[in-house]
Amino acid sequence: MRARTHGLMTRKYSDDLRLFGSTNAKLGLLAILLLYAFVPVFVQSAFWLSVLDYAGIAAVGALGLNLLTGYTGQVSLGHAFFIGIGAYAAAKLGGPDDVGLPLPLWLLGATLMGAFVGALIGPFALRLRGNYLAIVTLGLVFLGEHVFRNAKEITGGNSGTSVQTASTLLGADFKDLQFLGQNFSFNQGYFWLIWGIVGIAALLCKNLVRTRPGRAMQAVRDRDVAAEVIGVQLGRYKVGAFAMSSGLAALAGALLGSYQQFVTPEQFNLFLSIQYIAIIIVGGVGTIFGSILGALVLGGLPGLIDQYSASIPGVTTGSGDSGFISVFSLNQAIFGLLIVLFLVFEPRGLAALWLRVKAYFKAWPFSY
Amino acid sequence: MTETVSPDATDAPAAEQKALLEVSGVVLRFGGVTALDGVDFDVRRGELFAVIGPNGAGKTSIFNCLNGVYTPQEGSITLDGTDLLKKAPAQIAGLGVARTFQNLGLFENLTVVDNLMLGRHTKMRTGFLAGMAWWGRAKREEIEHREAVERVIELLELEPYRGQPAGKLPYGVQKRLELGRAIAMEPKLLLLDEPVAGMHLEESQDMARYILDVRDRLDLAMILVEHQMALVMDLADRVMAMDFGVPITVGTPEHVQNDQRVIDAYLGAG
Repeated sequence: MRARTHGLMTRKYSDDLRLFGSTNAKLGLLAILLLYAFVPVFVQSAFWLSVLDYAGIAAVGALGLNLLTGYTGQVSLGHAFFIGIGAYAAAKLGGPDDVGLPLPLWLLGATLMGAFVGALIGPFALRLRGNYLAIVTLGLVFLGEHVFRNAKEITGGNSGTSVQTASTLLGADFKDLQFLGQNFSFNQGYFWLIWGIVGIAALLCKNLVRTRPGRAMQAVRDRDVAAEVIGVQLGRYKVGAFAMSSGLAALAGALLGSYQQFVTPEQFNLFLSIQYIAIIIVGGVGTIFGSILGALVLGGLPGLIDQYSASIPGVTTGSGDSGFISVFSLNQAIFGLLIVLFLVFEPRGLAALWLRVKAYFKAWPFSY
Repeated sequence: MTETVSPDATDAPAAEQKALLEVSGVVLRFGGVTALDGVDFDVRRGELFAVIGPNGAGKTSIFNCLNGVYTPQEGSITLDGTDLLKKAPAQIAGLGVARTFQNLGLFENLTVVDNLMLGRHTKMRTGFLAGMAWWGRAKREEIEHREAVERVIELLELEPYRGQPAGKLPYGVQKRLELGRAIAMEPKLLLLDEPVAGMHLEESQDMARYILDVRDRLDLAMILVEHQMALVMDLADRVMAMDFGVPITVGTPEHVQNDQRVIDAYLGAG
């Protein structure tokens, strides 16, 4: 019999820095990822795929918000504004009647656009902190909605704009995917596109937070005066965090626009910002994994509530229907309730819950 | 980490050594309150210089001026001939001034290793994009500086705590970790703001030992602000006593201890 290591012993610093520890952990992760990649093959319902697609889009945006709020400690209510910028940038850059860039380029363009605007907003964070910064970013949402409604040439005004983006990468069209003689639907194709991007974004974010810039961001969050005294330039990391966060928000917005093929200004309201705050609180503030977990749980929730509103008692689904709460208000109430419950009972979110479960099974069957 | 400091070198007269830090005529006001009123002193290489004085005498204000948190209205501060005035705290850190805080300035949610790695911040180069990509230098730098951090862990005997969040550590260990983060910066000048405040005798003795270790092994000057007189008298080469933002006297511990003005400042004159 050959003895196996349990993977906790490392002999080199490079081993210590490995993201996925032992061989078993790697195989386990690979198995889960493969299983997840096959979900669209087994689940063919357009509705359930759309729930997962929206969750993936939310995961990208939540990664961004977590970098800013979870890792750098800058509370922002302006996330919806940057998501809107991404959506409209995708409409302009990817639309065949406009710039007509290919898939990777309009995604990149929208990301950079969001990052640029975020970097312009960033300097406010140098003067303001906590609630004051939250109020400035809150103003951003209303400012944005006004601009989206009135810059008709770019955004189509109140009635919105259609987003017809190219969706071909290396000869594969995600809107109409053909592989091994099989035809895949729009929802299936976009599942792979969106979750592929989630994977890449999560890996980049994870690398960021475990290296010098990410540590500096967390130092700014935990104690900014001490951070400055050890040589962390507050301005650089606050503005950088804003730029990256808004870049990811814009990427999520670009995916959202492209997936919906149509966007309207009222989508990018305060409620969307609060949804993202709920996602990172439920998932786990200051964890990469938590952003995705939170998005999986909450990202598709509005769609689910909409779908099943008829069977939820007391919900008004149409005019003349008896009920005391509209679908939209129900959404708001549920997100609000989740924020309150998690802040009170599990402030570190589902990610902390998961770590506790993992720690329990590591020691199983011993309770210590 | 070279051994350049011998106990004798610091006893040499001031004229023989060029001072590392020169502070002259520093005046710091907050509105109508004058926190520092004409502070002059110098600190030589390898010296352990202590600042004492009653509460509110301006000891911590001196530290805040030295690392750029406050900008004094008058006077000059130079380190190795470089003017520190009008420089931002992060720049001053890069020039080699490290500091610990009276009420702890640790990053509580980060592990011991991460706190110490942050001490290496100015020595590292990885930016946002390189960090994200985990490309060549990013990984190489992490390993290289982890080695430097391990030397600090060894010097301060922090081995049992590596992966624990700093905020969860016992108070004495947190103080030690903060000292570790400061020396991880490989500073020329180390500012210690009440390193044994709130510690019992045994912890204080440990801390004194670590301070002496740091002093023996590393080539740096230290300024110590401390209320515990026994510690100051045991460790310091020279002591400056302050009262109401004005230095009363500077000299050897024996000299300062017996100075009538110092005794008055502490006990209240008349």
